[in-house]
Amino acid sequence: MTSSGTPSTTKETLSNVNVTAALDVEGNVPLKSVQIDGLVVLKIIKHCREFFPNPVTGQLLGLDVNGVLEVTNCFPFPGSKADDENELVDGARYQVDMMRCLREVNVDNNTVGWYQSTYLGSFVTHKLIETQYNYQQTFNNKSVVIVHGMLDIKQYLNIFCLNQFLPANFFSLDVSRSTHGNLSLRAFRFSQAFMEAQKESKFTTESLIKNKLTFSNIFEELPITVKNSHLMTALLHSLDDYEHIIPKTTLDKETVVSPLSPNFDTLELSLDPYIEKNLEFLLEAVEEHTQEQNTYTFWQRNVGREQAKMQSALQKRKQENSSRQASGLEPLPEDDILKMYKLPAEPSRLDSLLITAQINNYCKQLNQYSGPTLGKFFMAGELQK
Amino acid sequence: MSIDAATSALHLSFPPTTATGFVVPQSRSFTVSVNPVVLFSVLDHYLRRQEKQHRVIGTLLGVRSEDGSEVEVRNCFPVSHDETDNQVAVDMEYHRNMFELHKKVNAKEVIVGWYATGSNLNQWNALIQDFYSREVMPPFQAIHLTMDTDLKNDDKLLGVKTYVSAPIGISAKPENCLFLPVPCDVKYFDAERSGLDLLASAKNDTDRSTSLFSDMDNLEKTIKAVFEMLERVTDYVNKVLDGSIPADNTIGRFLMDTISVVPKIDKVEFEKMFNGHLQDLLMVSYLANMTRTQLAIAERLQLLV
Repeated sequence: MTSSGTPSTTKETLSNVNVTAALDVEGNVPLKSVQIDGLVVLKIIKHCREFFPNPVTGQLLGLDVNGVLEVTNCFPFPGSKADDENELVDGARYQVDMMRCLREVNVDNNTVGWYQSTYLGSFVTHKLIETQYNYQQTFNNKSVVIVHGMLDIKQYLNIFCLNQFLPANFFSLDVSRSTHGNLSLRAFRFSQAFMEAQKESKFTTESLIKNKLTFSNIFEELPITVKNSHLMTALLHSLDDYEHIIPKTTLDKETVVSPLSPNFDTLELSLDPYIEKNLEFLLEAVEEHTQEQNTYTFWQRNVGREQAKMQSALQKRKQENSSRQASGLEPLPEDDILKMYKLPAEPSRLDSLLITAQINNYCKQLNQYSGPTLGKFFMAGELQK
Repeated sequence: MSIDAATSALHLSFPPTTATGFVVPQSRSFTVSVNPVVLFSVLDHYLRRQEKQHRVIGTLLGVRSEDGSEVEVRNCFPVSHDETDNQVAVDMEYHRNMFELHKKVNAKEVIVGWYATGSNLNQWNALIQDFYSREVMPPFQAIHLTMDTDLKNDDKLLGVKTYVSAPIGISAKPENCLFLPVPCDVKYFDAERSGLDLLASAKNDTDRSTSLFSDMDNLEKTIKAVFEMLERVTDYVNKVLDGSIPADNTIGRFLMDTISVVPKIDKVEFEKMFNGHLQDLLMVSYLANMTRTQLAIAERLQLLV
């Protein structure tokens, strides 16, 4: 397990004993929460915003200590322009090079997950599942996916960073909500049940029942806390101290606002676009869901028909056999009939699982959004009086 | 806002480079705007320095405007370097590698300068500045950004200063250069703003950490802030009416302007709009809940089958 590499940073003055005790080398302590450095938050937002609306991904670096996954740095992945062999090789090489370079400047060289940007909460895709599964397996359930949600309404960015690593968490960053003044970051990982099912790559109804896997079980969400170093806190205080402003070289006396003066983006009253977009996506997802349902019922009907045919053939055989016996001939075997009628395979239920999870997500978003919106409505109403 | 104590330096327009003698048009004075990510990265690098180093350096990436008068610093990466009393060595190979890697992600960012922690400028700075000037495409100057991590200035703030260099002295040696301060600004986008807010909310906490806020919490915070401001204003107005504070015409007019910004809508119209919107919102929320209940039922049934 790669988390056994201790970074030689000057800020961690743990003794050797403490370090080895804190580092969970065996991977036994389950992850309970995720702690992100302030720098990582800003970096993720910046990266996602620059490439809006294309989804972007990046790697998270850090360490897991006592069941808390600390993310201390991150770097973005280059966007892939074509899905060919070269891209994959390049991506791997980029990762290796980057990690090596970062090692030289004492950045934690330990992958703990990845992040992804999403648009308006649509992060439950196959690609995500694959990547997260890879990560989670490689890192022994210690990686996380961070989803940063971005919603672009008039250049609002929602980035969903989903890093689903078993151990890897992925962060989901919802940028659209970020433009409304909130930061949407969520950390997920796959549940045990899902990992098992994915390992066998079988998503038939029986396997789902066996693992007790439903759409709400796929992800486990982990709580996130954001932590700043001392120097960063000092910087934040300095930024706040805006009496020390030098006016810009333009000689007009425009009031210069400190970066940390209260942010009134949340009081934005144009609420419809968000709801509209969300509903659009929801409708699409529901349509896809009905398609999946249709495939499933189609399959069931096929199976039924095949079985009926098989039964009738068996019947005929039996009759033949009985007539043969009556005439003293050898009874024909019944096996070859069974072999002739092959039942069609059950389609994978993974898609419908994902879609239902996505639908659930959209609905939750709508709900969450309407809460504060009601508040804003009444506030605007009061202002009028 | 400039993140620095007031200085009495004049901001001169920067001189032409000696290499090409190209004169940058001086239509606007030269400004530098910095993304907060850069500042935090620098601090993080400083935190992770090796035991014996007193200061660290790195490369700044960013974009320039067309006429070269405005530079936006967007990203940075650290570069390992060695500094002794006699000499300084910068790992150029590493710098080039990292730049290539960064370019793969974001092709628009170019090298615009370098940073160093610690506020003093000595001859090593001049040498490194010379090196970076050659990296930055002429005729533009390399920007040097310093961050005062020693907190030794009078106000005990983390001063951030930016400079360009000008040759000085009799001979054209690289060590002879004068660092001209250039005004710098912190610029950020909306989305980053909320990230910054989140980080700022952690700064008053004893363990310097905070958890993410839900939408409701954020709304509550901002409403409280507005409410506080309104209280202050009403307080002031009441005091003026009582006569305890002399009235100030400018403030009075400013207040009047602010209040008149609230749009005056006819009551009936407003009621209609309000109710319409409210009903839309409630309907959407009802549908969403119904869908979720449906999904939940399906989920239970699926397990039973």
